[in-house]
Amino acid sequence: MSNSKHFIVGVFEDEDVVMHAIEELRGAGVKIHEVFSPYPIHGIDDVLGIKKSRLPKAAFMFGITGTACALIMMIWMLGFDWPMNIGGKNNIPLPDFIPITFEITVLFSAFGMVGTFLTASNLFPWSKPVIFDERVTDDKFVMAIDLSKNKNSKEELAQLLSLNGASEVNEKEI
Amino acid sequence: MIQPGQAYNTVSVAIGYGREVAGKAAINVGQNAYPLIENLNGNLIFSGIVTGLSKTGEKRDIAQTQTHQTMMSRPIVQESILSEYVKSPSAGRYEPKINTTGGPKSPEEISIWNTNGLKTHTYNNHFWGLAIDLNSCTGCGACVISCQAENNIPVVGRKEVLNRREMHWIRIDRYYSSDALNPDDKSVAGLMDRERENPSENPQVVFQPVMCQHCNNAPCETVCPVLATTHSTEGLNQMTYNRCVGTRYCANNCPYKVRRFNWFSYYYNTDFQDINPSQSDLGRMVLNPDVTVRARGVIEKCSMCVQRIQSGKLAAKIERRRPVDGEIETACSQSCPGDALVFGDMNDPESRIFKLLNEENKERAYHLLEELNVKPSVSYLTKIRNA
Amino acid sequence: MHISSHVRPDLVKGGKTFHDVTQDISRHVESAPNKRWLMAFSISLLLLSYGLYNLYKTFWFGVGMWGLNKTVGWAWDITNFVWWVGIGHAGTLISAILLLFRQKWRTSINRSAEAMTIFAVLCAASFIFGHMGRPWLAYWPLPLPNAFGSLWVNFNSPLVWDVFAISTYLSVSLVFWYLGMVPDLATIRDRATNKISKIVYGTLAFGWTGGAKDWSRYEAVSLILAGLSTPLVLSVHTIVSMDFATSLVPGWHTTIFPPYFVAGAIFSGFAMVLTLMLVTRVVYKLEDYITLEHVETMNKIIILTGSIVGVAYITEFFIAWYSGVEYESYAFINRATGPYWWAYWSMMTCNVISPQLFWIRKLRRNIAATFVISIIVNIGMWFERFVIIVTSLHRDYLPSSWAMYAPTSVEIGYYIFSFGLFFTLFFLFAKFLPVVNMAEVKAILNSSQKHQQKAYFKSTDKAHV
Repeated sequence: MSNSKHFIVGVFEDEDVVMHAIEELRGAGVKIHEVFSPYPIHGIDDVLGIKKSRLPKAAFMFGITGTACALIMMIWMLGFDWPMNIGGKNNIPLPDFIPITFEITVLFSAFGMVGTFLTASNLFPWSKPVIFDERVTDDKFVMAIDLSKNKNSKEELAQLLSLNGASEVNEKEI
Repeated sequence: MIQPGQAYNTVSVAIGYGREVAGKAAINVGQNAYPLIENLNGNLIFSGIVTGLSKTGEKRDIAQTQTHQTMMSRPIVQESILSEYVKSPSAGRYEPKINTTGGPKSPEEISIWNTNGLKTHTYNNHFWGLAIDLNSCTGCGACVISCQAENNIPVVGRKEVLNRREMHWIRIDRYYSSDALNPDDKSVAGLMDRERENPSENPQVVFQPVMCQHCNNAPCETVCPVLATTHSTEGLNQMTYNRCVGTRYCANNCPYKVRRFNWFSYYYNTDFQDINPSQSDLGRMVLNPDVTVRARGVIEKCSMCVQRIQSGKLAAKIERRRPVDGEIETACSQSCPGDALVFGDMNDPESRIFKLLNEENKERAYHLLEELNVKPSVSYLTKIRNA
Repeated sequence: MHISSHVRPDLVKGGKTFHDVTQDISRHVESAPNKRWLMAFSISLLLLSYGLYNLYKTFWFGVGMWGLNKTVGWAWDITNFVWWVGIGHAGTLISAILLLFRQKWRTSINRSAEAMTIFAVLCAASFIFGHMGRPWLAYWPLPLPNAFGSLWVNFNSPLVWDVFAISTYLSVSLVFWYLGMVPDLATIRDRATNKISKIVYGTLAFGWTGGAKDWSRYEAVSLILAGLSTPLVLSVHTIVSMDFATSLVPGWHTTIFPPYFVAGAIFSGFAMVLTLMLVTRVVYKLEDYITLEHVETMNKIIILTGSIVGVAYITEFFIAWYSGVEYESYAFINRATGPYWWAYWSMMTCNVISPQLFWIRKLRRNIAATFVISIIVNIGMWFERFVIIVTSLHRDYLPSSWAMYAPTSVEIGYYIFSFGLFFTLFFLFAKFLPVVNMAEVKAILNSSQKHQQKAYFKSTDKAHV
């Protein structure tokens, strides 16, 4: 038995149709592997049962780290490691540290979150995409169902898909 | 060039130019005016009636280091006359006051930093300063030349001076008086009085040597990105040439405009061969080995002859004593014929400068641009004329 | 699905389908460079080469090749730096702030605007390197551990704030722009027939497949990046303005600079976006995507920001008088009546009067008028920075230092270099990358569009699934 997985792939033309189809299929107990679209469909997360992304929380954590790093860096460098008389100012002039603290916060938050995103979605220059239908990035909406994860036969699934508005139903081996 | 105060219908030519037997500095520079001088029974007559004067049609820019002649009625050189001085020693003084919610205050009383009266940086050892008596200054320029010689300041040549890039660390500002309608009028109408820009027909003149004021709240130190300029524990504004990356922010932020930028490499540059002696081995003997020669792209300024201060302190230390006032002199204070520049340790109660400033405190002694509260270590003493 | 009333003008005209969107944008990337592009690109390369020659002169001989002197230490160099950074801010505003305000019209212009931001910031950075006396030490303002006893940097200095702000801004904008492009790069990858294109765009597309989970994360990231970029736009130009505001030079030392500069940046940035987009939409036949509505909306933003800038000018003038500080008052009298009065009045006419013309609806919806006024605005904004920098420096506290300033050909050549760099990069972008965000535009093709499509197809008898 090869390592390849078998998928039933439904191709849709319209986002409303595909959303409705998802509801119907999930209502019928089908486990959908993934739904692909040329643009993000509003409301699809709830319909597919995808949990809200935790990336915003990650961004916040990275940001706080950034703030702490910036302040510690500057206070240590100018206050403790090598304090100097710069224009008669205090050694730790906090108002002067605000712009840099803010910028480092944003930098850490942005890069941390983006790095997490790319890692979570496996988006790297060397990543090989698993493409169910090349027209997804053009104008088609594609629903992929993993046969090994469902008890329905592929004919049943194919019928369910066509009944719910799929313009094409294909088989795919990955 | 028409000098304010020169009589109408006269032409004056300086003697001393047009030499034929002299070094690079003087050969073929200018014209020899001696043929115009009359010899009457052994007496040289330096004036006469001009019988023929014609235009050659040629133009030549005169390189000047200062092109604006008046003080714009600003309290830069503060002066008074003897009779007023006798009545009050602080005659002619301008004491800036800033309006605050607590009433008018002098600038030193206001700060955005809440230090609870504690001084952030104190000078426990020496506190070097300069006091410049505007009464004694004749504008001779000896301080400028001695500073140049002592500190290896490059000569930049006529072309660069025309570009306003001379490198002198100390300059002598010369201001003519103007016929401003009401010099004390600070309103818009007063400020727009064009007469303030023009010197009088028969002006009075003041001279003011200006060098780095070694501000204790230095605006230049705050803005240098790489910490090339900081403040020493003895009150000097330090300039670290090898750290400077040349952004020139410090020069822009200096209200006294005393910082100089090395626009080109002057010491190792064929373009400046004829002007700068340090291109050859022999010429380099002119340089003071105690002072760094600055590279292209760095800022330099008056260091209060820190090399002399350090060597004076070292000599005293070797003898296990403190430096005595008078042992350490900056080049400018040493060479002033009128003793107008007094250098010393303001923390030393025995020093001349301490006594001078103590005596003249709040009277003749003032700081340039006091309202900025940059706390300069250089003080000026008002000029008192006879009448 | 973008539901909007049929009374509102369509954001995308011409009854476009998703496939139309893909075609209209991708074909420019996929086709070979045409004569027009080659000509435009060669001109920008020419400007770049002339500029590089002047760069060489500056770096080899020294900053003395410019017209600066001991009184006027900054002039064209920092004017150009602030000008380019200001222009860059519009791109981030369009991507980030308009996203937060749910302004769907941003989708056809945000890609190009963000690209403009990145290229503009790169041009600005070139002036930072050029203006330094010792540019080979340009890394010294960074707090890196070193062998000088580990000498750190001056965190009090606005120039160090600039280092952090501009580098953060450049990198975050780059990331935002690139991430936004990943789905479109996948589109081009999937359409590619030529092997090299497939490999190149395949690598650039990071293996994007368009799955719902990926889109969900992508949306979260876009929203957060937009939320981070918004204060970034405001803070970066605020920090740039503090190069002046925190100094004590009369004419610089004023608290109005942060909002004044930010408004001015958005003002000039939108003008530059218009200049670029008005040409691009004609050359690439994108009039259905970048419609008159887009142009009009951008012009309204120009009125708003132009008016803020105008009010700021008046406030500055007022405060110069009201403060009673004679140096500040003189600085403004000198600006209006002194030797650089011509620069000041150019600034006032270009910046205060020209945007007000957009109150007239006919002008607001006129492409030619918009193009001309957008260029006038940018000229005016250049003069604004020039006036602020040069007129304040050349006559400050002590009249003995008062001096005049004039640029040399090397300085002007350096400015031309920045144009050469900007347009070279922009034309490369326009040729090899999709200039419009296809995925976002598809998302806003609205319901009324569907009716339009049906009507369109009926009328042309095309079969449509």
